[in-house]
This record gives sequence, structure tokens and C-alpha cells, in this order.
Amino acid sequence: MADRIARLQLKAAQCRRNVVRMVEASHHGHLGGAMSCLDIVTALYFDKMNIDPDDMQKPERDRFILSAGHKCMAQYAVMAERGIFDKAVLDTYGGFKTKLPGHPDMHKLPGVEANTGALGHGLSIGVGMALGLKADGKPSNVYVVMGDGELAEGSNWEAAAAAAQFGLSNLALFVDYNGLQISGPVEDVMNFMPVTEKFRSFGWSVREINGNDMSEIVKALDALPFEEGKPSMILAHTVKGKGVSFAEGKASYHYWTPSEEELETAIRETEAEIRRLEAVCGEVRV
Amino acid sequence: MSVHMAKTKTIGEWKDPRKEFGKAVSEIAEENGDIVVISTDSGFSSGFKDFAARHPERYVECGIMEQGATGIAAGLACVGKIPVFCAIAPFVTCRNFEMFRNDLGYMRQNVKIVGRNGGFTYSDLGATHHSLEDFAITRMIPGVTVLCPQDPTEIRQACKAMLELEGPVYMRIGNPKIPVLFPEESPFAIGKGRLLRQEGGKDSATIVSTGTVTAEVLKAAELLEKKGIFARVIGLGTVWPLDEELILTAAAETGRIVTVEEHYVRGGLGSLVAELLSEKLPVRVKRIGVPLEYATSGPYEDLLRYYGLDAEGIAGAVEKFCGE
Repeated sequence: MADRIARLQLKAAQCRRNVVRMVEASHHGHLGGAMSCLDIVTALYFDKMNIDPDDMQKPERDRFILSAGHKCMAQYAVMAERGIFDKAVLDTYGGFKTKLPGHPDMHKLPGVEANTGALGHGLSIGVGMALGLKADGKPSNVYVVMGDGELAEGSNWEAAAAAAQFGLSNLALFVDYNGLQISGPVEDVMNFMPVTEKFRSFGWSVREINGNDMSEIVKALDALPFEEGKPSMILAHTVKGKGVSFAEGKASYHYWTPSEEELETAIRETEAEIRRLEAVCGEVRV
Repeated sequence: MSVHMAKTKTIGEWKDPRKEFGKAVSEIAEENGDIVVISTDSGFSSGFKDFAARHPERYVECGIMEQGATGIAAGLACVGKIPVFCAIAPFVTCRNFEMFRNDLGYMRQNVKIVGRNGGFTYSDLGATHHSLEDFAITRMIPGVTVLCPQDPTEIRQACKAMLELEGPVYMRIGNPKIPVLFPEESPFAIGKGRLLRQEGGKDSATIVSTGTVTAEVLKAAELLEKKGIFARVIGLGTVWPLDEELILTAAAETGRIVTVEEHYVRGGLGSLVAELLSEKLPVRVKRIGVPLEYATSGPYEDLLRYYGLDAEGIAGAVEKFCGE
């Protein structure tokens, strides 16, 4: 177990470096949310989901939907690290006709399952996928990552009711609760706490974890579905901008247009974390 | 040019469009197990009561959540299903517009959205239940086909065609019983209209219409003929893509185009035709439809008359236009 966690932590560190690499290329991006959900996305792609990086269209594959599409740098970083596309493509982030636009596009980047960006869409799409897969007796699971500010979109609660009504235990939702949105603390802007109670009352099975702690993430993933016949919700407490010291816990880094100094610091810090974890893993850097 | 002349000017049997639609889709769904019906407490009123009883596993009741249901339909399509989602027209075009645009249009999903009780056929229920902007809304979503069948035959034909077409479709049907205009064996293709009347060189205008108001247009053409005015009539079961060839030929041959639709004159068929003609063959155009206002309420026939969409109103407008 310790090896498994350390290995995933190293992958997450490499993915954080990939995020910074995309900002090096484009000089802007939604850093805060990408970094807060990145450990979860890493664990899903490297440890949980049944996918074939060489063929992301296999009907029996698991599905990942990033409902908070602006956090796409996390998804791109992890998909590239997983070998779904060439890492060189990361350097095209935000560029003209790139496969990596500022919100994911399934027709531009094979392996993306839904075109998200407008908030409050991903869970409904996930419900439809999970319902269809279940109806066909497929073993596939559907994983959705949603932002915390996104909870205010009413369509999410339509989907939450439907998921429970249809008994979709093949559907798991992570709410990436970094606690900050553009205008300030989520609870000041529009409070949805206690989120766990709301989902529980909608008929979901719920757990609460530290979403930047790989051992807690893996433990939750191993326990899915939490209850047979119910969809699962994981309230993941995270840190916005996690892994870049000056951005951590600051709403102002929701969208980042870095100075040269900031960029250099971010590169230095994310690379140092890789070296630290490589040492932990007992691996030698090539 | 494909010419589908109506063999008869007489009006046939009157049928319930919702039942015709539900029956047509259900029959096709018997053969195609990928078809699923989405309901937002709307399926029984859309003609799917029997289907729901026969195939509960393919009847997805979502409750009254048109936004969520549109996303759910997209997700089902992502895993190979062919969802048909029918409810009151404004609730599946206005209410869920962003889901239609992103989840169905942008994601290019094979979902069929059907707005029933379209236009102001829910006449007495008032403007919340009217849809006089659904063509304008849906034709602005790239990749969406917009259908508006004109009679029970064409409803059945359009159902078959839309389910054979890979991609998002919006279809509008009405509510009150409508007469049969076209024989069962008449050909139908998405994007192709029907030439319903023509008197060759004598035609002094062409009336282009869509939806069930075409029955009124045919009656109007008869009224005009009695006054010695010959009008060519083109009926469109597809609003978008527009049958450009048929319209341009008629414009060239008759010199005047009148559009008739149970829709705002802005943004719908009239706008599409005017856009086409102003670029490719400028001729005089008269658009008949509802002005940009919240339509009044009352009996359907009264609303048709009030907005000049009955045979007398259409004939009067065409006569005046031909004299200008």
C-alpha cells in the first residue's frame, strides 16, 4: 500500500509539473482549480479507471467527466502523463487550433468524454452515461469531478435527484471543495454547506476526505460503490493552487497570468517535489 | 428538381399529431432497441403511454427537469443510445437552451428533441406555453437539423428520417388534430420541400410555408385562384437545412416570395428565406407570421385569424402583395 501511495504521489507531482508546463506555453490558465483536483484526477487515471491509453474508445472503458471544465489543465496533464497523448502536445495549450483548448473538447482530444466548460452540465451527462451503461449490463463506471462554486447551478440538483432515482451505483461524484471561487469564499458567495447532508438527503451515499491526501483518495476509491444501489459522492476538501506555494489558498490564482518570477518559482517547486518523491520511491531520475 | 405535386387539393382525414408521432417512433423503436424515450413527466402526453408499458427499460422518466434531461439524453447518446425527448416546445428549446447547444450540438450527439404543442397551439394557456422562437433558437446551433412536418403523413415520414439521421435533430409538432395532406407513398427527404401547386407561367407569387399552417396556405391558394391570382405553393417539412434549389427556382420563375409560418417573423423561416434571396436572387419578399410580441391567448382558430395565419388572412396578404 505504501508503495502504491508513493507511486501515485510521484505521478501527481509529475502532473503538477505538466500543468506548469502548459502555463509556460500559454502564459495563462486556470491554475487554482487544476491544482486542487489534480490528486483525485491522477488517482482515477493511474489507479482506478479501466482504460486503455492506446484505445480510449473501447466500449467497456470507464468514463471520466470534468464537469468543472476550466480545470482542464489537470485532465490534460494527467492524460499526457498516462500516455493517452504525446506530452509535446502540452506545449500547444491555449494555442491556435490546439487539441487543448481552455475547456475540454471531445472532438479535438480523443479520450475526453464530454465538452464541459459551462458549469452544471457534467453530472447530467454522467447520469445519462451511467444509466445507459447499466442498462446494457456493462461493468463500466462513470466518474465526475465538480467544482464547489458549481454547486450553485440548479441543474446539478436535477441530476443528483435522477442519479439516486435510477440507483446508479456505477456513478461516483467528487466535489472538489477548495472553498474558494472568483468572488471569495464559496460559503460567503452562496453557501451549500453541509454538502454531505444535501447529497445524503437526495439519496446518495457520501464520504468526506482530504482530497489532496493520496492515501485518503485511494481508500475512498477502493470502497466504491459505498452502498449498492446508490450513487456515491465524495466531498473532497482540497487546497486551491496546491503545490505552488504562493498560489495556495488564494482565490486570486483561480486564473493565473504569471510573472516570470512566479513562473520560475512554480517550475522550481514542482520539480523539487518530483525529486523528493523520486527519492521516496527509491527511483533514479533519468 | 424534385417536384412532389399533391395529387389532391382536398383535405383528408384529421388526426392527432401527438398520437401519430408517438405511434411512429414506437413502431420504429420496436425494431431498433437502441432507441430510448426520455420523459419529463411528458411522455404519456407525447403518445408514449403504450411504449412505456411495453418497454419500461427503455422509457426514462426524469420528472420535470428539462435541463437535466437534456444532459442525460446526451450521456445516453454517448454510450450508443438514440434518445427521443419530447415535451412542450418552449421547455425543450428555451428552458434547456445551453444544454441543447453544448451537450447535443457542440458534442454532436445523436439525440432527437421534439417540441410538441408548438407555435401557439397551446393557444389558451398563454405565452409561457407558446413557442414562436423555436426555429430561430435551434437553427442557430451548428449541426442541428430543424424539422416541422406539415401533416400526419409527414410526421411519420419525418420520424423515420430523423431516426435514420446521425446527429441532433429538433422537430416541432402541434397539438390540435390536423388534416392529411400528402399520400403515404409521397417521397420525403430531410432538406427537401414539396412543390404543392403550380400553374407554370401564370404564377404571380410563390408561397413558402412550413408546419401545419400549410393546410391554410393551400386553402388560401384556392381562394386566390377564384380571384384570378395564381400562387405557387412550396411546403417545407424541413426548416433547416433550407431547400435552396426549390426556393430559388420559384423566386426566379414567379418573382415574388411569401413566407408563412406559425412563428415570429423574425428569425424563423421568413428570415431564412430572406437571407437566402437577398444574397443569391433578390426578389420582393413578404413574411407572414407573428410579430415580435407575447401572443395573446384564446381558441386556436381565433389566434390564427388574429395573426393573419388563416386561409382568408393569407389570401388577403398575398393579394395585396401581388398588387404592390
